Parts: sequence; C-alpha cells; structure tokens
Amino acid sequence: MTDKVCYHCGDDVIGKGYFFDEKPFCCNGCKTVYQLLKDNNLGSFYTLEANAGAKPSESNQHKYAFLEVESIKSKFIDFEDDTTARVTLFLPQIHCSSCIYLLENIAKIEPAILNCQVNFAKREATIVLDQSNISLAELALLLDRIGYAPNFGNRNQTEKKLDKKFLYKLGIAGFAFGSIMLWSFPEYLGIEGDNPEFRNFTAYLSFAVSLPVLFFSASEYFVSAYKALRYKSLNLDVPITIGIIALYAQSAYSIIAGFGPGYMDSFAGFIFFLLIGKWFQNKTYKTLSFERDYTSYFPVAVTRLIDGKEEIVEIEQLNVQDHVLIRNEEVIPCDSILLSDSAKIDYSFVTGEAVPINKKKGDFIYAGGKLIGQRITLQVEKESNRSHLTQLWNDVQTDKKTRTSFLYQDRLSFYFLIIILIIAGVSSIAWAFVDVTKITQIVVSILIVACPCALALSAPFTFGNVMRLLGRKGLYLKNTGVIERMNEITDIVFDKTGTLTTGTTHKVDFIGDELTKEEKEVIYCLANSSTHPLSRAIVDCLKSQNIASSDEITEFDELSGKGISGHINGIHLKIGSPKFTDLEIIDENETSSFVRLNNGKTGRFIFSSELRVGIEELLHSLKSYRLHVLSGDKDKDKALMQQLFPADSVLLFQQTPKDKLDYIESLNKQGKSVLMIGDGLNDSGALGKADVGIAVSEDVFRFTPSSDAIIEASKLAQLDRLLIISNFSKTVLKVCLAFSVSYNIVGLSFAISGNLTPLIAAILMPISSITVVFISTFLVHLKK
Amino acid sequence: MGMIYIMLIVSLIVALFFLASFFWATKSGQFDDDYTPSVRILFDDEISQKTNQKTNKQSDGSTEV
Repeated sequence: MTDKVCYHCGDDVIGKGYFFDEKPFCCNGCKTVYQLLKDNNLGSFYTLEANAGAKPSESNQHKYAFLEVESIKSKFIDFEDDTTARVTLFLPQIHCSSCIYLLENIAKIEPAILNCQVNFAKREATIVLDQSNISLAELALLLDRIGYAPNFGNRNQTEKKLDKKFLYKLGIAGFAFGSIMLWSFPEYLGIEGDNPEFRNFTAYLSFAVSLPVLFFSASEYFVSAYKALRYKSLNLDVPITIGIIALYAQSAYSIIAGFGPGYMDSFAGFIFFLLIGKWFQNKTYKTLSFERDYTSYFPVAVTRLIDGKEEIVEIEQLNVQDHVLIRNEEVIPCDSILLSDSAKIDYSFVTGEAVPINKKKGDFIYAGGKLIGQRITLQVEKESNRSHLTQLWNDVQTDKKTRTSFLYQDRLSFYFLIIILIIAGVSSIAWAFVDVTKITQIVVSILIVACPCALALSAPFTFGNVMRLLGRKGLYLKNTGVIERMNEITDIVFDKTGTLTTGTTHKVDFIGDELTKEEKEVIYCLANSSTHPLSRAIVDCLKSQNIASSDEITEFDELSGKGISGHINGIHLKIGSPKFTDLEIIDENETSSFVRLNNGKTGRFIFSSELRVGIEELLHSLKSYRLHVLSGDKDKDKALMQQLFPADSVLLFQQTPKDKLDYIESLNKQGKSVLMIGDGLNDSGALGKADVGIAVSEDVFRFTPSSDAIIEASKLAQLDRLLIISNFSKTVLKVCLAFSVSYNIVGLSFAISGNLTPLIAAILMPISSITVVFISTFLVHLKK
Repeated sequence: MGMIYIMLIVSLIVALFFLASFFWATKSGQFDDDYTPSVRILFDDEISQKTNQKTNKQSDGSTEV
C-alpha cells in the first residue's frame, strides 16, 4: 500500500502526487512548503527528522481577517511599542525538533519577524515582529501556510504566575531545611549542652528562618484543610495540617522556653518533601496536558453582513437575526438558518460521519459543522454561547466536580484521623497514671509522628509514574484522579464510528456486472482524479487488487454532490449517485457509489466501515467488564457487531448525542461505573457524563477535546493492557501504604513511650518519605 | 568561640545568596521550558550552514537525506 510517502509530511501519496527535486509530495501545500524552506536555506529541517512536516491546510485569505480588528488584536499581543510587538501563539502542530528548528529560523523566510522562541512543552511560540512590515494577521497566515496554524481560541495567562509562585515556595522550604539542619548538628551529635548561649542563638535563628516556611510555603495545605472542614468533609490535608501545627507549636514553645530548637529541622524538611511531591505531580500533568477548551474550535470572530457591507465582529457580539458570511473551511459559529441556496456541511467534527451533509435554503444548521465549498450567508438563530453543544457541555461539567471529591485518599484520611485520635486518647489516659505533666508532650509527639507525609507522597508519585507510563503507551490522562476512577470501572461503552471502526478507511465491495481488468483500470483512473473520500476508498480498493493506470482522461467533469464522469481509452463512464448514473436505489441504508460504463455494464461499490486492527482480540480480553455499543449510525452493521460482542452486551443504534448521554446517566443510576470510549466532540456529552470518558484520536497533537483522557487510535487495541497497568497502581499504593504504616508504628512507639527526640524525628521523617517515593517509582518501572 | 557566630552568619549569607539566585533564575524564566533549549543547542548556527551549502553546491539535492 505504502509505495510512496510525502517527503514533507510523511502521508501516503495518493494518485499521481506532486514531484519536485525528484521528491514526492502528497499535495501542493506540502510541495510549496518544501520550496519555501529550500529557497530560504532551511533544508536541514528535513535532515533533523524525516518527513517531519505538518500538512498545511487549505486556508483562505480571510481566515485571520479578524486579527485586523483592533479590539481583538490587542487581546493577543503581550507587549507593544511603536514599531515592534510581542505575541505568544499556541501552535498545536509543533511536534518534533524539526518544528523547533523551522519556527526559530522563520526570520529567514520573513525578515519582518525579529525573533521567535518556541516552548515545546506548551507548544507555544513567542514571536517578536516588526509591526510596520507585517501585521499579526499576515503572521498568522504565514504560519498557517507552512503548516502551523495558530489556535486563537484559548487564552491562559494566570497559570504561568502560579507556577513561579510554587517554585518560590519550594526554594524557601529547601533553603530553610538545609540551614536549620546545619544549625541542628550539635543536637544530632549530643553536644548541645556544651554551650547554652550558642544553642539559644541557633534556636532563634531557626525560628526566624522557619517563619516564611510556615506562612508562605505551607500556606496551601492550610487553605485546603480549611476549605475541606468548612464543607464538612475531610481530605488528606487535614491530618497533615494538624501534624504541621503540632510540630510547629511544640518547636516554637521549646525555643521560647529555652529548651532548644525543637523539631524545626523536621518541620522544614517535611514541608520541603511535601512540596517536591506536588511539584512532581504538576510536572507530570504539564507534560501530558491536553486540556483545551472545546470552544477553541469555534472561530474567534465572524464576518457580519450589515446592509450588504462586511464587518468583522467577535462571536459574542452576534445577535439573533444577524446575517453572517461563512467561507469555505470555516466553522459554523452558532445555530442558524441557511439563507443561500444550498450548502455542504461537514459534521465529522460533531457526528463522526465522514460524508458531508447537503442543506437547502431555509434549513436549520447546527453550530460546529464546517462549510465545504462555496461561501454562504446564514441568519443567526441562537447566540453562540447558547448553542446546543455548549449547553450539553455545561450541564456535564458541573456534574463532574461533585463526583471527584469522593476519592480513595480522602476516605483513607478519614479512618487515619480517627485512629490517630484514638491512639492519642488512649495513651494520654495511660500516661495520666504514670506522669500527668507529660501528657501534652506525648499527645503532641503522637500527632507529629503520625502526620501522613509518606502517604501524601505515595499517591502523587504512584499515579504520576503510572500516568507517564500510560502516556508512553498512547493513553493521555487529564489528571491522576482519572486513574482512581478507571480502577472502579464495571461497564465499558463504545461508540461505533471512529472508535470500533476507523473513520477514514472503508471496506469496499463491488456488486454488479463482471468487470475486465481494463474496465477496472478505467474506473481507477477516473476515481483517482477526484479527492472525494469515497473516490479515494475506491482507488485504495482497486490498488489492493493490483490495478493501476495513468491513462489520460478527456471530458472530465465533477459535479459536486452528484458524481464524476470522463472519457478514458474510448470508454465513457460515470461514477456517483444513482440519479447521476440513471440507476435504481437498491438499499436505502447502505453507503454506495454507482458506476455506469457506456458499454452497458453497471454496478455499485458498497462501502462498509472497517474494524480497527485488533478490536476482536480486545473485546475477548475485556470479558470481566460488561460491554455496550452506542452508535449514531443506521443499524447496517448490527450483524457484525452481534457477532463480535459477547451475548450479554447491549447494542443500540441510531443514537443521538442526547440519547447517548441519557444512556450513560441511566447506567450511573444503576450504580455502575462507566468507561465511555468515543470520538471527541460528537460524544462530548456522554464522555463527560461517564465516570471516565476517553476520546479516540487519530492525531493527539491536533484534536484535543475536553474529556478525561485521549487515546491514540492505533493504541485502542491495547486498551485491556492499559487498564491492567492502571489497576496495578492500586497494588503499588497498597505496598506504599504498608510501608508508611510500619514507619508510623515505629514512630508511634517512640512517641507513646515519650522518647521522640528531635534526632529520631529528623531521621524517621525523610527516610519514610524517600522509601515510599523509591518504592512507587521502582514498582511502576518494573511493570514496563 | 566568637568565631562560630561569624561563621554561622556567613553560612546564612551564603545560603541566602543561593536562594536569591534561585529566585532570580525562576523569575527570568529559566525553569519555564526545560526541553526546547536542549534541542536548540544542537542546531547548526547560520555560518556553518552557509559554508555547508557552498561546499556541497555541486551535489545539492543529495545532501538532504
């Protein structure tokens, strides 16, 4: 099948292809980019990584016209003076080192760009441009032309500042930890009694240094614990906060009373380790972060028509009854009515159907579809933020937050707190008979030693490592909470189109008169000259039968939405709809293309969706779950599905997105934990409603809808294996828990007997944390 | 014994110096992106690019495989 791949983007070259410098290209766009790079001495783009290019989209001149509007433009510019401006653009196509090379050398192509710096992890480029020579719109168009279309939908500036604040917290905690430990050495060595004056001095120094740790570094634990208590719930931060406060109060008291530096070293070290755990967790999120607002797929601005005049406005400013102009390849921004005669709209985004839908004048058009072909005029019926997609999504989001609060760790911390309180109570009663004056010290020691630091570290490290492992295997999770929910799954719901079956390739069968090799070649030739997805499927099918030809076509004609016709080697033929070829419709439910040759032979190609490789084996190995299929399609594939799925599976067809959502809801009501696998936007409601929603994506870099996880389409067949890995995290957590509990028991025995010296605390705390981190990392790596 | 107090203060100052440089590094964005610079450093700079081009001018297309 893969005889030639595009030198620029690595896609298969379909048909004759384009040639330049004896290198094949799949489309004119790729060829143009190659020429552009070559002319500007950027040829090493191709030597860094082979076929690294991003395919440029066929965009029109007006795509970025909205950036000429001052109010919109100023939103995207970070900094601006008389001549230069700095912008940070999100370029989702950045995916390899060649991309970095190309973008950072873009000044060679366009001298008006003064500087460009790429942040690979965030897929952002910070560009400084000379405003007198290039406008932001022109810059966007240039980037689009070389295959890096900027995404203007999503803006997030606050995140950066929070990130830095966290590093400051970590730095201060580390500084305090190191310094106080150094000053505590006399305590560790047992020579603290030698010089009381000096001891007092270091104690006050430690006290001073510990203050910013308490009030700045540790602040988020206090806030989190306070929030939990205010909502009358418990999280792990509550026992941690109690431990921190007990530790700090005891140490402060000891310093002021002149007993020495107390446990200040343990306190600072404790906060330092906790923050490192959090830092690791955040870092894992960021490398795997894919969360993008789905509204980024909607355009930022549209062209409004007022008395025949075009005007660019932001979508939020559109009112009902406004007329808007939509051009080829633009997304329909809001629910509206078609005013032009006809339009062809690609809803593959919304419904997963690859074949564009024809709409006539006066038809209602839902937001989210993409226009293909001639420009159209629409009348707005609903304002954009109230379109049905937005509504569906908003409903789901509020629901999900309430559910995540019920996590494994939070339940655990509840028991934890109760046990600690019981132990503290019992031992204080016991000590009441031995030495009443020591009760406070004992209770405080128990609270200090029982502080679940190791426990707090085990979860982020275990889940973080598992997340990384899953990411390498093609499943990208939104956060670690998803792993916890994934381990509770009882039911798996599959979407059909695009999930079980591939969205792009088709199984093609020919039914009709027997064709000679020559006639097949003629059909191949004609189909190869069209870019319609069905024509391509015919070409692929014939190619697999070793048919190929490059004869000349005369009288070629393509009627959009009807079919193609041409004259090859003395045969005139038509491929297309039944009406176009004067043939009768045989089965309403099938997707087919009819063929008529002028020698009298007729027939039709039937397209049925092809299952992804490995799906059959996958379904066999998922026997421990109950399986469901929800399909938006007609039930033409019902027999195939029945054969594939176990007998107790539920198979439902002709489901609207709303039906799917309701179905998941009803499963939830039965107390089931549901994993839903479907394609992005179409199933966004159902994906959101499910306990775990996984979006299948052919290209993880490009399509980033809001769901709990994204799986690479090619890795879907390994879902069973991925679920096992996710489940393994439970085992790792249990081992970590066992370790941290045994450390706690050792510590508690010291505390209860009244022997918890600062030295013992200083040894026990870091060791327990470090072992837990080591164990979780080691075990997850073993699983590889 | 007075020496130890001076040493303590010195150690604190040194530690504070490192803390300050950490803050400065954070603020100037050195920790924002820890992947791209590692790739960037491997790119040939412009001068060697041009000389490459000149020396290989005869066999232009074949240099890029």
